[in-house]
Amino acid sequence: MVDPRRYFDEIELGEEYESPGRTVTEADIVMFAGLSGDYNVLHTDAEFMKQTIFGERIAHGLLCLAIQSGLFTRATAPYATLGFGGLRWKFKAPVKIGDTIRLRAKVVDKKGLDKPDRGQITLDRTILNQRDEVVQQGQTDLVVQKRP
Amino acid sequence: MSAATYFEDVVVDEVKFTPAVTVTEAHVEMYQGLTREMSATPSHVPDVLPLCLVVGLGWRVKEPPMAVQAFVALDWKVVKELRVGDTMHSRSRIISKRPMRDGGLIVDERTILDQHGAVVQQGRFTFLVAKRQKETSA
Repeated sequence: MVDPRRYFDEIELGEEYESPGRTVTEADIVMFAGLSGDYNVLHTDAEFMKQTIFGERIAHGLLCLAIQSGLFTRATAPYATLGFGGLRWKFKAPVKIGDTIRLRAKVVDKKGLDKPDRGQITLDRTILNQRDEVVQQGQTDLVVQKRP
Repeated sequence: MSAATYFEDVVVDEVKFTPAVTVTEAHVEMYQGLTREMSATPSHVPDVLPLCLVVGLGWRVKEPPMAVQAFVALDWKVVKELRVGDTMHSRSRIISKRPMRDGGLIVDERTILDQHGAVVQQGRFTFLVAKRQKETSA
């Protein structure tokens, strides 16, 4: 069987990907509040939020961060990922119910790690909304297997 | 009226521990249905899930939660993978506060620990937190 995954050696600096869009719904926010236990009024109290600069409930920042992680798997062929190393991230603008977000990503660094069977791939990632506004942006480090 | 901890009341260097949660197959299934983030190995929890759960655990300490107006930035490292069935809790330490015109920035260092006390994930959250005098409608 052909392994569809791409190994560290095959991923090139400068590769760029763009994911399909995903509309963030009220159901996504309610489910995420239930799953995470984060019931901050920002995400759960429509009446309170009418009085704020946002005017309505906004999605949890981490919900959109998690959604982009899923969108990445739909943006390109899967990497032979062993794990997630870390991230440096900025939340720049709110995502509201009904907004459609998508991910744009670019490989900006590759380096070997102590264990010879793996390397680290760093990606610049930008989450854009339907108006092409940047809502979140940062870098993620993925630990990717080398071709055995 | 729900109480909150405002910017002025946040104490630098204060350490808090949260209750724990056992991360189950059900958490992973719900999370994957919601986000489609897959784990690299089936017995491992997707790496962003513990980060999502740690925010919820932060709401379960006895002190009132910070009056967070916005999540500004996140700097995070995964130290060790969490397995389904592991029980995680977290430690929070406020490392700095900087007043702004509206509210102020709080940097909160969070550490996720497993049932053996080993560090699983660790990093810094930057929040914009409301000042007390801003509260007019409460």
